[in-house]
Amino acid sequence: MSKSMSAVKQAIPAELGGETDVAMTERVAIAQAVAGRKVLPVVEGVVLVAALLAPLVLQDYLTVFATRVVILALFALSFDLVWGYAGIMSFGQALFFGSAGYGVALLARDLDITNIFLVLPAGTLIGLTFALLLGGFLLLGRHPSSVIFVSLGTLTGSYAADRLARGWYYLGGQNGIPSISSMTLGGYEFSEGPAFYYLVLGILIVVYLLCRFLVRSQFGLALAGLRENEQRIAFFGYKAQHLKAIIFAIGGAIAGLAGSLYAFHEGFVWPNMVGVVVSTQVVLYVLFGGSGTLIGAVIGTVIVEGVSFWLSDNYRDIWPIILGVLLLLVILFRPLGLISFVLGERERVGSFSAKRKEKRNAAP
Amino acid sequence: MANAFVAAFEILSFGAIIVLIVLGLGIIASMMGIFNFAQGEFVLLGAYITYLAYAKGLPIWAGMVAAPFLVGALGFVLEALIIRRFYAAPIVAMLGTYALGLIIRESVRGLIGGFYLTVPEPIGGSIDIGTMHISAWRFTIIVITLLVMVGCYLLLSRTSFGLRMRATLENPSLARASGISTPLMYGATFAFGSALAGLAGALIVPVFSLSADLGIRFLIQGFVAVMVGGVGSFIGPVAGAGVIGTLSAALPWIMAPVVADVLVFVLAIAFIKFRPQGLIAGKGV
Repeated sequence: MSKSMSAVKQAIPAELGGETDVAMTERVAIAQAVAGRKVLPVVEGVVLVAALLAPLVLQDYLTVFATRVVILALFALSFDLVWGYAGIMSFGQALFFGSAGYGVALLARDLDITNIFLVLPAGTLIGLTFALLLGGFLLLGRHPSSVIFVSLGTLTGSYAADRLARGWYYLGGQNGIPSISSMTLGGYEFSEGPAFYYLVLGILIVVYLLCRFLVRSQFGLALAGLRENEQRIAFFGYKAQHLKAIIFAIGGAIAGLAGSLYAFHEGFVWPNMVGVVVSTQVVLYVLFGGSGTLIGAVIGTVIVEGVSFWLSDNYRDIWPIILGVLLLLVILFRPLGLISFVLGERERVGSFSAKRKEKRNAAP
Repeated sequence: MANAFVAAFEILSFGAIIVLIVLGLGIIASMMGIFNFAQGEFVLLGAYITYLAYAKGLPIWAGMVAAPFLVGALGFVLEALIIRRFYAAPIVAMLGTYALGLIIRESVRGLIGGFYLTVPEPIGGSIDIGTMHISAWRFTIIVITLLVMVGCYLLLSRTSFGLRMRATLENPSLARASGISTPLMYGATFAFGSALAGLAGALIVPVFSLSADLGIRFLIQGFVAVMVGGVGSFIGPVAGAGVIGTLSAALPWIMAPVVADVLVFVLAIAFIKFRPQGLIAGKGV
């Protein structure tokens, strides 16, 4: 993976779909022209400032709601990484979210472990392990798996986990595990409120930055290539299946982190949390916001959850119908999500090559 | 002996129900390459239409006859308006049909409320064989399933409509060049698949009571059955449905239902992993 992407690109003859040098220089020129007015950092900045100020202007019960939204945004980020960047349709992302939730709930119930430095890594590890197992099974192997198989396989996994959780007495059956004690740090207890909000927001920011670094790295570029044309990436000598399994595991770890936070914030876990309902919900968030942008996942979560919260008093019954109609419209007419109204395709893909080229030209 | 017979009948009738539900799903998946997430909601609509007929005082069988036609017509319209745009991208098709299903399901939920509504069996009572009693309606479902299966097979293999349908599946551009209207064939196929789902819903509603989540319960089982059987033929998904239906009805007799439930899925996914082409590979009928 040490080879720079742009150098590889130039080596492909035009007939194979690679670009000629002329087209390449043109695109670089365009990229440089656009580089002056980037929208993505502005969008990210606005979201960050809004998120930082939220508890100051919101009432208490809204801060609790906002905390939940931030946790779900973290969860959405994991799905965006897997689908938006690597093109793996995971219809079972809730499996990692929920199993981590159940895991930390059991730690708190049976072993009385609530220390934040133990439960959060534990949740992350649970998500990572399940994702490694499921992803390894579905993605690796002698023959590359079809997209359909992976999406239906993850969906089935999530559904089976839901059924298991419902029927397993140890996990509380239909009712799940209620009244989980609060997460603690030394003597301090995190209960719902601004402290919990800022904790979760801090985690989201750190994870977001890590993801941002990851997708802008050589690894991220290889992933993007995987999403656009898996076969060609394989011909370059990348182990496409391994890349997929790695990103799937990372996504699972993030989902696990989000799930353990969610369990402690809500104070209970229930079978839906591992099931198809939550799995598809996270797909909705990301599709609405715009996949493959990271910030789109966050914005999508805020919008979907915000509107649903706002409508739930008067229009609880018709909200899912509206959601379905909106989703259909987005899929049909705005496949890149709401963020594509402000963000150009060029910036969505990223303009790595421009910067790298500049540096290389300047060096010798 | 009597117990074993009752168990066998239960397994057979559940297998028949799964086959009935998977028929439409399998035809759409095999012939069009679309995994229709709204299929469960077509089943739900069929059930709902039957319930409506019953609630309005019409005979139940009238609702059962009307259901496939109405749902099929809806399928035809939806194909022309929406599904048509998804053919190039299977994942987008999943998401789009999921959205459609969400709209239908929540609309029905709004109409019936959160209740579980019951529809009586049009053929009640039981058939007595010696000391054993089996439900007459479940027996009817088995018979109808067999008839529908044979009917579908004959339609696809023996009629010119079936021939054109298969031609469209196998090589769309050659089919177009031979004067077959492929958009019409796709529309007809989708409508046919939807109609089968409507029929399935209408027939099973006396067995399972009507609730908004009736369809989704069978959807994932249906998908797994299609994959196990093999996409690309008519027989494949039917065989897969037989296997999955039988397994999920039979395993709870010999182990804890929870374990059986999960085990069926695990076995199925493992099977597909190591034999991606399914039980019955290849195209054809």
